[in-house]
Amino acid sequence: MTSASPPTKAKLSLLAAAGVAAGAGAIWLSAHQPPARPTEPGPLLTLLVGASLLGSGLAAWRARPDNRVGKIMVFTSFAWFAELLVDATPAWLNTIGLAVQALWVVGLVYLLLAFPSGRLQGRLDRWLLAGGATVAVGLQLLAMLYGSKAGLHCPGCSNNLLQLVHNNQQARNWLDLQRVIGAPLIAAIVVRLVVRWRRASAAQRREAAPVLVAGCATLVALGCTVVLDLLGDPLGSLPANVYFTLMATVPVAVLFVLLQRRLARGMIAGLVVELGGPSASVNLREALARALGDSSLQLAFWFPPERHYVDGDGAPVKLPDEDSGRRSTFVERDGQPIAVLLHDPELEHDAELVASVCAAASLTLENERLQAELRARLLELQASRARLVHATDAERRRIERDLHDGTQQRLVSIAMSLGLLETKLPGQTGAAQTLVRETREALTLALAELRELTHGINPPLLTERGLPAALDELCRRAGIPTRLDVTIDQRLPDQVETAAYFLVSEALANAAKHSHGSEIQVFASHRGQRLTVEIGDDGIGGTTPTGGSGVRGLADRIEALGGRLTISSPPGRGTTLRAEIPCG
Amino acid sequence: MRVALADDAVILREGLSRLLEEAGFEVVGLAADADSLLELVERTHPDVAIIDIRMPPTHTDEGLRAAKTIRERWPSIGILVLSQHVNTRYALELLTAGTDGVGYLLKERVSDLDELAASVNRVGNGGSVLDPVVVGELVGRRRQGDNPLERLTDREREVLALIAQGRSNRAIAEQLYVTDHTIEKHVKNILGTLRLPQSPDDHRRVLAVITYLNSQ
Repeated sequence: MTSASPPTKAKLSLLAAAGVAAGAGAIWLSAHQPPARPTEPGPLLTLLVGASLLGSGLAAWRARPDNRVGKIMVFTSFAWFAELLVDATPAWLNTIGLAVQALWVVGLVYLLLAFPSGRLQGRLDRWLLAGGATVAVGLQLLAMLYGSKAGLHCPGCSNNLLQLVHNNQQARNWLDLQRVIGAPLIAAIVVRLVVRWRRASAAQRREAAPVLVAGCATLVALGCTVVLDLLGDPLGSLPANVYFTLMATVPVAVLFVLLQRRLARGMIAGLVVELGGPSASVNLREALARALGDSSLQLAFWFPPERHYVDGDGAPVKLPDEDSGRRSTFVERDGQPIAVLLHDPELEHDAELVASVCAAASLTLENERLQAELRARLLELQASRARLVHATDAERRRIERDLHDGTQQRLVSIAMSLGLLETKLPGQTGAAQTLVRETREALTLALAELRELTHGINPPLLTERGLPAALDELCRRAGIPTRLDVTIDQRLPDQVETAAYFLVSEALANAAKHSHGSEIQVFASHRGQRLTVEIGDDGIGGTTPTGGSGVRGLADRIEALGGRLTISSPPGRGTTLRAEIPCG
Repeated sequence: MRVALADDAVILREGLSRLLEEAGFEVVGLAADADSLLELVERTHPDVAIIDIRMPPTHTDEGLRAAKTIRERWPSIGILVLSQHVNTRYALELLTAGTDGVGYLLKERVSDLDELAASVNRVGNGGSVLDPVVVGELVGRRRQGDNPLERLTDREREVLALIAQGRSNRAIAEQLYVTDHTIEKHVKNILGTLRLPQSPDDHRRVLAVITYLNSQ
């Protein structure tokens, strides 16, 4: 959006002074001269409408110099006052008044069509405005070429200086044509405004509603007045007064909407102050939502490693499509993307505001982005740790199965063959027999070691019967009398069972080696998608906080599954390990 | 003595079959899984079924379940379960249903032909066999030469021997001319003295029996 330089105070003051003078003149004319036409606003309505247009216009101009709405209203206010020149006695003033009699209607139409951006949107708007100008001013001038004050429906007027031909009938024809074309044209403009309003987003509709209601009501009243005028004004000056009154509300509505936006701009200052405060207390999204007046605002941050956007918790965010009813505004800092604002399309009309807000918040946005990146990396790390544990467990099971089905069986069959050989050897070859027996016994020993090894890799009972049975066997084999209390009524995910099993196994071994205790309690319970395992002894306590390297490895494994291991070992009061592992 | 054999690994099945024949047993048939074992047993009514615990389709405890089925349907057939693992739980499950004609051996044990023959014969004749390693696991790892039975009184050892014969508390009370209550007290003392791990009472009874058998 191109930004117009704000009007100087002098310029605005001059305009205000001119407006006040024009208004005073108009009121003086309206109050001291008999009305030149039957359908004319009284002094009070003149002042109300004119002041409303002028004041709102100047205020809007000053507040939003880049938006033409203010200028259009100021222009319309002067056109409004100029119309009262028909009451002036000098013929040239009177003629000007007659010529611009309907110019303010063109201003009103321009204002309504161009609201809220201050620009006409598309060819239809331009055609409607051009048509309005032609009908309101062009046909008026044509009529003035022919008609005297009587032909122009202005009995109280002075002489019409533009009159070239004396043909009042022709003048009336042109004026009738003006009304015949004008009424449907006004209807078309109302339809255009309503259609555009209905197509807008909810937020846009909400924002533009006051202007639409006031504007359309005024146009409808104007249309009725025009139609009644064609019928010879059966209701007198009532319809005109109705639409003059309605007209006074339009500038107020426009100013109201513009000031609401200005309020939003004022929020930027608040935003900067807020973001400068202690950062922990600031919710950036809510602060931005307040500043932009879009409570549906979402924030996403650039995550360079994956080249996509993530939310504050580090989870990936999908950007909205063109037709999803949401818009994305990308925020960059030093040429690098840092964030994207997902917002209501209505904010697109306020690109300047969005840009200011983004600029004000860019440092904080960058900080938040770094935090989001950290969280995203943590999520990735967590996922990769969990995958590692999963892969390790699968590998353990595969190795155990391979050893069982391959090496162990082969060795057993060799031992059998040796056993058979032993019986086949003739009785007198004692040395050979001894050798075979010794070989077989050595093989048996090797098998025992292999068995211990495979059991350590993946305890078959755990895979086959689940955690309660496997813990039961562990406790049975413990070096210190062990009491087991298990409340688990279903199979849990493999990696959870494995982690819990090896934790208990390691804790029991440590207790037997170091605790000097006389009893161990093992407690395992599955409740609410969470497995809790606790191993406590009544020994000397005083274990290192990490519990030794074996326990450290198990803590890693448990944390990789999103769980937690705590070790409590006060000197003289035993050691307790407690793990909580999510099973979801 | 007639023997049926089930193991999914063909080298072990064939090897064991040759060993058994060498030792003078009649091998009535070989099976590669639990279902064909049950068919084989039904058809041939062997004296002993030798069963590998891990078999298809799940490779977990099919053999053990087949053993329990055989025990229920043909109680007179001896069962010798072979395992590559020390699995005290499976051993207890097997023995809890009755210690007569039941055995649990580690696989490598069968390479000693004399031991194999002795075990098969014992199970076939209604005795029980339990691998020394499994017994060690079951009754706890004790220092060498520490025989827990020596800590029992003569009367308690007498009661334990009767338990090992499969008698109920009431039967023992009748035989010893004492009240049920007295026997219950003896049993409680035996279990406590043997320092058997916490577990349901019937398991502890079996464990006591195993300790007793192991010391014979």
